[in-house]
Amino acid sequence: MGERTGLGVVEIALLEALETSQFLRCDKALASVEERIGLAPGYAYEVLVDLARPWTMPVNLVQGQGNFGSRRNDPPANFRYTEARVTRAGRAALAAERGEMAPLPIAIINGNTYREGLRPPFRPHAVIDAVREAIKRPGVTDAELTGMVGPPYFMTGCTVAGDLTALAAGRRTQLSLQAQVSISDDRRTVVIGNIPPNISTDDTASIIASRARAPRWASDHPGLRRITHLPVADLRDETSDRSSSFGRIVCIPTPGTPPEQLRDMLLDVTGVRTTMPVALTRPLPALIRHWVRTNASEDLLAGLAALEHAIPSRQS
Amino acid sequence: MFPSAVLGAAVLAAEEVSFVLVGSAALWLRSEIVGVADADLVIEPGERNIRRLREALAGIAVGPVPSAGSLSGGSLVPVVTAYGKVDCLLERGRRDWDPLRRSADFLLVADVPVLVASSTDAWNLRRRYKERENG
Repeated sequence: MGERTGLGVVEIALLEALETSQFLRCDKALASVEERIGLAPGYAYEVLVDLARPWTMPVNLVQGQGNFGSRRNDPPANFRYTEARVTRAGRAALAAERGEMAPLPIAIINGNTYREGLRPPFRPHAVIDAVREAIKRPGVTDAELTGMVGPPYFMTGCTVAGDLTALAAGRRTQLSLQAQVSISDDRRTVVIGNIPPNISTDDTASIIASRARAPRWASDHPGLRRITHLPVADLRDETSDRSSSFGRIVCIPTPGTPPEQLRDMLLDVTGVRTTMPVALTRPLPALIRHWVRTNASEDLLAGLAALEHAIPSRQS
Repeated sequence: MFPSAVLGAAVLAAEEVSFVLVGSAALWLRSEIVGVADADLVIEPGERNIRRLREALAGIAVGPVPSAGSLSGGSLVPVVTAYGKVDCLLERGRRDWDPLRRSADFLLVADVPVLVASSTDAWNLRRRYKERENG
């Protein structure tokens, strides 16, 4: 792992291979990665796709062009048909790795849950603010740092709940990620948006459809049917835009079902709500302090300012 | 309100699949304070029951349904369903069905009786699984 950014060997090799102002065909970049670190293109492409997909991590290091898959189950196109280039943040990460710039806390921000790791992502500007505070005011308390960073932050905008105190304390815990479920203005549909990143919208739609069908035991067990059956007459997966990070499924309630009832039932459905195991390598404040202490000899504030300029502006 | 995994077990019971519910879902139904992540089912061995299991899973699985071969000869077959993950503990069923069944009893989930392992068996199996998981 790169000590100055926390990026992995494959990620760094990919950034180096794509370091050009023009889009580069991915097969060429992957051939270069194979030459550098001996990793076969098929494996490296999986990492490249994650770095480029806008819903995987808060600070995208690569910008993709072509079909990189979507929130649905469709996979990316073969690497012969896609192109990519390094983003401004990716360029900053490379500069930091080479010692041309101060280290950057990219790994703390992006985490690694997108590759089924345990470290969750956080809001980039919140992490930058907390690190800056730890540099400027060494006496800042753990509670203040934890409060500044806030809860984990997923690019799909799903709601995050769980034992955040345990997470901040460095203990393994389970996050509950929930999509937003709202009633349309005309009250004819219930719309599911901001679907958690660890489930495809196809799977969410298929779960809802399967729970809307009448099972063959329905008349024998009306009690179970009442609590498992979703009163959905029809649904549409409108996650058609390949670049859509959020996912959108529109459900039409069965005649006579108040939309509020369907909304409340959907909130508990697997796929609308998912869980994710998470853990930090040490308590969050200690993680930040350790990072500051390890890199104390460098101009960290300048590095943070550069990173801040390289990523999208603050979100509410 | 029942956790999703418990509902998944109830749906399979309503489909007349024969199993003993173990793991966190069983402990939850036994009023133990545990988080329920998935449904662990010790499946009664036998061709007819395995066929029923496969048919029932086909109705609630998200993605591919396990093959008849993997359900007949497999050890542990995880299936992602509309109610979360269901772990079918097939090898455990072939080895321990009778003693587990003897100490289990039926608990109602809504209006479906679900065969649930005794607290002692559920805790013992959980402990053994965790020990193996931790190496």
